[in-house]
Amino acid sequence: MELTVTEYSHCNILKITGRIDSYSAPQVKDVITKLIDDGHHNIIVDLQDVPYLSSSGILTFVNAQRKLKRENTGELVFVNVPDLIFSNFQLAGFDTIFDFHNDTASALGRF
Amino acid sequence: MKTKTFPANYKNLGLISQFIVDIAVEAGFTPSDVYAIQTAVDEACSNIIDHAYGEENIGDIKIKVTQTDNKLQIILIDQGEPFKPDEIPEPDISSPLELRKERGLGIFFMRKLMDDVYFEFSETKGNILTLEKHKGS
Repeated sequence: MELTVTEYSHCNILKITGRIDSYSAPQVKDVITKLIDDGHHNIIVDLQDVPYLSSSGILTFVNAQRKLKRENTGELVFVNVPDLIFSNFQLAGFDTIFDFHNDTASALGRF
Repeated sequence: MKTKTFPANYKNLGLISQFIVDIAVEAGFTPSDVYAIQTAVDEACSNIIDHAYGEENIGDIKIKVTQTDNKLQIILIDQGEPFKPDEIPEPDISSPLELRKERGLGIFFMRKLMDDVYFEFSETKGNILTLEKHKGS
């Protein structure tokens, strides 16, 4: 799995390439935790090149969102989420706690 | 029937998924069903490592896949602690973010995405989890 962070003026884009499961989810958690600890609280996660996202991966994003919303400091939003992955967000009832954008310009506009 | 045994560790989850996805694609399941089968098996294997064995590299996961015209049956066998699915409450997916419990999402996915899910425990064989998916379901 590859994780790339690109910094913009009001947010950061985290681009993930590869499957996110119980093996790789801790790496995603570490990168998001570091972003938040460094004061980058508006995060766009690009899942275009993620072929699979497990429940442990979903919960990694949910926990980050929970922290950001609790402290009211920012938000995690998604862009380019494959349909099959989005359907599991829906199944788990987590589609309502994130904004999902179809393109990067729209996601950047959120901030 | 196709059978394969994997050491139960997180690194092997990708290999296990590839093994299952290849069979499901070859069997003619739709991309949506293939993803559902992949999710159910991945969640089952993660649960075996997390809850039956309690940590990585304690034992193996044996996977037996049987394909009939309209159905894929996947049996996962481990020698970990007896798994008690009834003790894991189903997540309340409508509860507010702050109150959502993390435990149980894997089993929830298995039950929602597959047509049949059976848990058994045998003193001699260990935990036997059977997952079944019908075509067009």
